[in-house]
Amino acid sequence: MLGTSGRPGVTEKPPPPNWILVHPTYQQMKTLEVGDSAQVHAAFLVYMDLAEEHYILTVTLILSFAVRRWKEVSCVKSPELQVVLLEGREKEGAPVHTVLPLPVDQSLSHKSIRHVLDRGFPVLLCAVASDSTLVYQRMTDGLVTPDPPVGPFQDVGRRQHRKRRQQH
Amino acid sequence: MESVPAARKSSSSPVVGVGLCDSVPLLWRVEDLKTVRSWGLVGALLGSLPRTPRQNGRLGRPLLLLPEEERLLSERHAALLLCWQDGGGPELHQQVEQYEEQQQRTYEEQTILALEDRKSALIRAMTPSHTGEALQVHLETLDQSFTFPRSALAVQLSTARVGLSYCPETRAFLRADWPIRVQDHCSGGVRYQVFRDLRGRGFYLTSAGKFGGDFLVYPGDPLRFHAHFIAVCLSLDQSVCLLDILAMARLGSGVKKTVLLCSPGTDGGVVYTSLQWSGMV
Repeated sequence: MLGTSGRPGVTEKPPPPNWILVHPTYQQMKTLEVGDSAQVHAAFLVYMDLAEEHYILTVTLILSFAVRRWKEVSCVKSPELQVVLLEGREKEGAPVHTVLPLPVDQSLSHKSIRHVLDRGFPVLLCAVASDSTLVYQRMTDGLVTPDPPVGPFQDVGRRQHRKRRQQH
Repeated sequence: MESVPAARKSSSSPVVGVGLCDSVPLLWRVEDLKTVRSWGLVGALLGSLPRTPRQNGRLGRPLLLLPEEERLLSERHAALLLCWQDGGGPELHQQVEQYEEQQQRTYEEQTILALEDRKSALIRAMTPSHTGEALQVHLETLDQSFTFPRSALAVQLSTARVGLSYCPETRAFLRADWPIRVQDHCSGGVRYQVFRDLRGRGFYLTSAGKFGGDFLVYPGDPLRFHAHFIAVCLSLDQSVCLLDILAMARLGSGVKKTVLLCSPGTDGGVVYTSLQWSGMV
């Protein structure tokens, strides 16, 4: 993982093969006694993405170093969904978010989403693929108007229209 | 008027006439289209315009109603059926006969004219060196062997503004007095409840086939605004693949619209969840 110098690539020794299992956060998640081990594993990967430094293998097969450094990241069990949820702040003073980590091959219902929204925090759904790729989506109660298109706007002008006509 | 009138008040509340074409609800009359638009129902124009054929950028009447729109109209008692006689009838047979006679007359006239045309073309094509006799022979052969193919018949189509109420038969066709059909689905389908709720909040809705959703939701008339939402209607308990949710959210962000998960709630209202791409790379 990371050596004492704090820079990637300067590791002192390779991590043990079962480093996930001995990780304190993972063990904490196990104590929540959620039956779905795939979901717990997904939750741990999301925790690592949010809170700790880790390597990711990008699409172009470049090993890059990623860190988000969310604050006060904790795990909690959702009784209705029987899954591990994460809570945290993106940075100091930011509002608390609930993160719902799920393996990408699972399904869920609108009712489950509402249960997570009912906790009162903005919700991020995180889909975890089998190669550990993570995709986050924002879920909000109500109708959220999308951002308007970005200007500056230019009228195309008659010349463009004439050009298009001549192509026919 | 922002919304469909809640109850029919004698003759002051307008009623539109819905024509059924094989169970598809259509509006034919211009006043009906205007009325329905003023009630916030958009529909979809289907007809081609005779003066601008071969394009579907601008279409004309009839207006196709969404099943939810038809149902809303019938619940508000704002629609009646246009009833026409199907299966023929003596009037229809007579009209068909008249039409065919007229076609035959035109055909005979056109045959004569076409023959004259060919003859004058032949005469023009003949050089002065040809003798008059040869010309006569040619003309006679032409007389005997000329046939005017039916496929070459020029048919006149009237494109003037005749209008749908021009002929007494079509006027009778457009008289709407039959009660609108009762749709036989369970009280409040999921889609209909969402439609009614969003319409009640003042949004305009059209079908969202192009975007893989159920409805496109506009904050005002679609002629003035882009859609803000792609509404996906599902029941609260319905299980959805996470991959499908991902695909919808990605599509929504690509077209600058929010995906809206809509489900009828337990208390008669509808719950909405907005899905947005997080932008967390």
